[in-house]
Amino acid sequence: MKYFKKGQIEKIIDRLAEKADVYVPMLRGQQSGFYSWKSYDENYDDLIFDLLNVYSPPKNIVLPQTEKMYSFDQQGQEIIIKPEEIPVEPNVIFGIRSCDVKAIEYLDEVFFTRTFVDEFYKARRDQVTIVANACYNPGTNCFCKSMGVNPLEPEAADVILREVENGYVWESKTEKGNILTKQIEDLLEEKEVELYEPNRFVRKVNYDGVAEKLKDLFDHPMWEKYSDPCQTCGICTYMCPTCYCFDVQVKNWGEEGYRFRCWDSCMYREYTQMAGGHNPREAATERFRNRFLHKLQFFNERYGTPLCTGCGRCVVACPAGVDIIRMIELIKGAEPSV
Amino acid sequence: MNYTDQIREIASRLLENGQVDMVMAWEKGAFDYQSLPYVARSLEDIDKMIFDDYCVHNLSTSLLRYRDSNEKIGIVVKGCDSRGLVRLLEDNQIKRERLYIIGVCCSGVMDPLQAMIANSGFSRIKDTSGLAAKCANCIQPNPVIYDELVGATQEARGPANRFEKVSEIENMSVEERRAFFEDVFSRCIRCYACRQACIACDCRTCIFEETRPQWVGRETSISDNMMYHMVRSMHMAGRCIDCGECERVCPVGIPLMLINRKLIKEVDHLYGPYEAGMVYIEGQKPPFSVYDEKDQDDFI
Amino acid sequence: MSNCSCENPLIPQIVEVIKIVDETPDVKTFYVQKDNGVPFDVMPGQLAMVSLLPVGEGMFSVSWQEDDHLQFAIKRVGVMTDELHAIDVGQRLGVRGPYGNGFPVEKCKGQDMLFIGGGIGLAPLRSFIKYCFKHREDYGKITIIYGSRSYDDLCFKEELFEKWPQEKDTQVYVTIDNAEEKWDGHVGYVPAYLEELNPDPQNTVAVTCGPPIMIKFVLQALEKMGFSDEQVITTLEMRMKCGIGKCGRCNIGSEYICLDGPVFDLAQLRKLPPEW
Repeated sequence: MKYFKKGQIEKIIDRLAEKADVYVPMLRGQQSGFYSWKSYDENYDDLIFDLLNVYSPPKNIVLPQTEKMYSFDQQGQEIIIKPEEIPVEPNVIFGIRSCDVKAIEYLDEVFFTRTFVDEFYKARRDQVTIVANACYNPGTNCFCKSMGVNPLEPEAADVILREVENGYVWESKTEKGNILTKQIEDLLEEKEVELYEPNRFVRKVNYDGVAEKLKDLFDHPMWEKYSDPCQTCGICTYMCPTCYCFDVQVKNWGEEGYRFRCWDSCMYREYTQMAGGHNPREAATERFRNRFLHKLQFFNERYGTPLCTGCGRCVVACPAGVDIIRMIELIKGAEPSV
Repeated sequence: MNYTDQIREIASRLLENGQVDMVMAWEKGAFDYQSLPYVARSLEDIDKMIFDDYCVHNLSTSLLRYRDSNEKIGIVVKGCDSRGLVRLLEDNQIKRERLYIIGVCCSGVMDPLQAMIANSGFSRIKDTSGLAAKCANCIQPNPVIYDELVGATQEARGPANRFEKVSEIENMSVEERRAFFEDVFSRCIRCYACRQACIACDCRTCIFEETRPQWVGRETSISDNMMYHMVRSMHMAGRCIDCGECERVCPVGIPLMLINRKLIKEVDHLYGPYEAGMVYIEGQKPPFSVYDEKDQDDFI
Repeated sequence: MSNCSCENPLIPQIVEVIKIVDETPDVKTFYVQKDNGVPFDVMPGQLAMVSLLPVGEGMFSVSWQEDDHLQFAIKRVGVMTDELHAIDVGQRLGVRGPYGNGFPVEKCKGQDMLFIGGGIGLAPLRSFIKYCFKHREDYGKITIIYGSRSYDDLCFKEELFEKWPQEKDTQVYVTIDNAEEKWDGHVGYVPAYLEELNPDPQNTVAVTCGPPIMIKFVLQALEKMGFSDEQVITTLEMRMKCGIGKCGRCNIGSEYICLDGPVFDLAQLRKLPPEW
């Protein structure tokens, strides 16, 4: 087994950072997320490989919250369009958990398949090497296993780190991973170490049959009831590692400007508001329902998996305590109304 | 603080004799430290209803959902929350006779959100046994409007000077202040949780959703974020009831109450003495909803 | 399926507006051209994203394609369309597409065609109607039922009153909601007119587009007349931003209107949640 001591981790990141922009989990003031190692300030930032996960999901690395697409300049009736050059520096997401790796797999499905390839996403994604940190200690609100995620074996990872006594095992899985291994070879030692036994999950839920069952529950009164506490803010969607919906907007000063896309949320009224005034999902309940149906039924129908990796962030972050685990249980218990 | 029995008793009575169609209170979530907003619509729902130390949410905001309907609504409010009801009544968002207000004298609550974060592995903070941050500046623990009161009257816990932090910012140089606000606003992810949780935000069409024209851009850039927060805070002037929900729900820790309190201070100073929603007098309007020739304008 | 030819499907091509036709007080048809040709080929019923670059983008049905230009009939309903109505010939616009499935022109071959439109809903139907005329021998009898609030609000009047009635085996029925002095034709709503005309479902495909309330009653009327769900086709509208099935908002159930639609037959629609 390839192994390195915990004390070596910054050296390893430093080395990887010679050839790539390395994103590492940090606490930064009151926030936590994956931030570029280049921006690490030891007086202010705190590396958090010892915590369960970062609060802000890493999706912004492949799908930035705001992303310029092209700029334009209109002179009289003439117009020039200049596509944005997407930075192509290789980058490494270092220490990402299985749930968030799976989320990137889902984003890949969305942006790479079903007729069109999203070139903006592709330009960023192609440059990413994933160094995952296998999860032996699920948190209080983790339920990844229930959603078909293996916390110890993130499939799309190029390298898997496994925390062991005093250090980490480094396990390369792909050609991209081997390239990183070469880069840090002298920092790794060959050593047989004992892997931890994974801890049990506190929360579990059985997703089997939920997508199928939801087909008959669209008009069920439960949506009205369970959406009562929902404030229709966008926290659940923005904190979700899999939510990918975006808006396309323009910024201009006079005739010059640029078009950008930015994260959007199905919880907002404006999301489906049509220019003529009609809104198919005007009511809070309808938006609430669409979010859960998209995650648990519609995405499954289209892509064969639920759009949830059980990371637990929405469960933790919802100001009103809306809880997807509980929703799944309630769905399972619901009697079809017709 | 646990008033579950009293609340259930009142709610049962109200639903049973048809005085209300629903009662807004709380239920327990998956954890001891989690209480969630809950609406009881029938007697069967009463068993779930609770009131304990984690009932932090200001339920008055949820009334906006029902402003166009006719149901009679029982609602449980703490001192701070009750000021929200006064604001809704002043703004004609709901009729007094539609409400049955169950007021709770509040000795302070704890924040389930912070407890969730701490207990779920996303934070280094482990101890969340203290009162919610928003309770530290409490000036109104007892309901200002109610039909029925629960619990013994409480002393305000607010510090001698709840504008201490505001003064700190005021004493900064312009550059320092700018740097401070750029730092806090750059974090904003524009999830609009602060707006959604806010009782002062009772506009039917929010300026941030307006598209003809679009007043504020949707980029998470410092300029759009600043614009968002400036517009938001100005709309709080004379309307913020200091319930602290905006700051509590912010997922990136923006000190929104610091800004709101500056507005509270200025409105009190310029048009006061005034604190929003402290007393309900029919027909009374907040300073920015009325014009008075004697209004100060020397700062214009 | 869509066949977007550009390298990056989210970046528009530049076209020039070569002609603007006032159809009604709030509908104009814009003829756009790129290098004396079209930016891309479109099938009837397909969509394209049109942008007035400093203002915004909007998804529109392409109401017809000629060899050297595309036509978009656009109603003034919002910020972007307000501005669009103020431009002059010569203005450059962005367009990207084509998006969506389009009408099943092949499947309908050999059938009688019944087109039922209301208001601006005739714009997408027009691409199919004109396609049928262009390939006249492939289709049977053509019946067009179209209505609007008033005479002024009728789109494509020249075609409606002059050209289409001249086509072989073609009947055009026009109605307006309320009687007016300058109108001596039929008065009443489209669904009622449809019931009055009572077309034979035998070997017929009905294609309808219009305001949601009209569609609702047209579908009921067709059902009553004995049209099966497979014989009824409509084209849907939702707010769209990307056009390529990624941005999320135009879903009805698990179908994206921009990609899997906008054209569905009633049998397909009945399987979707009732958000259409």
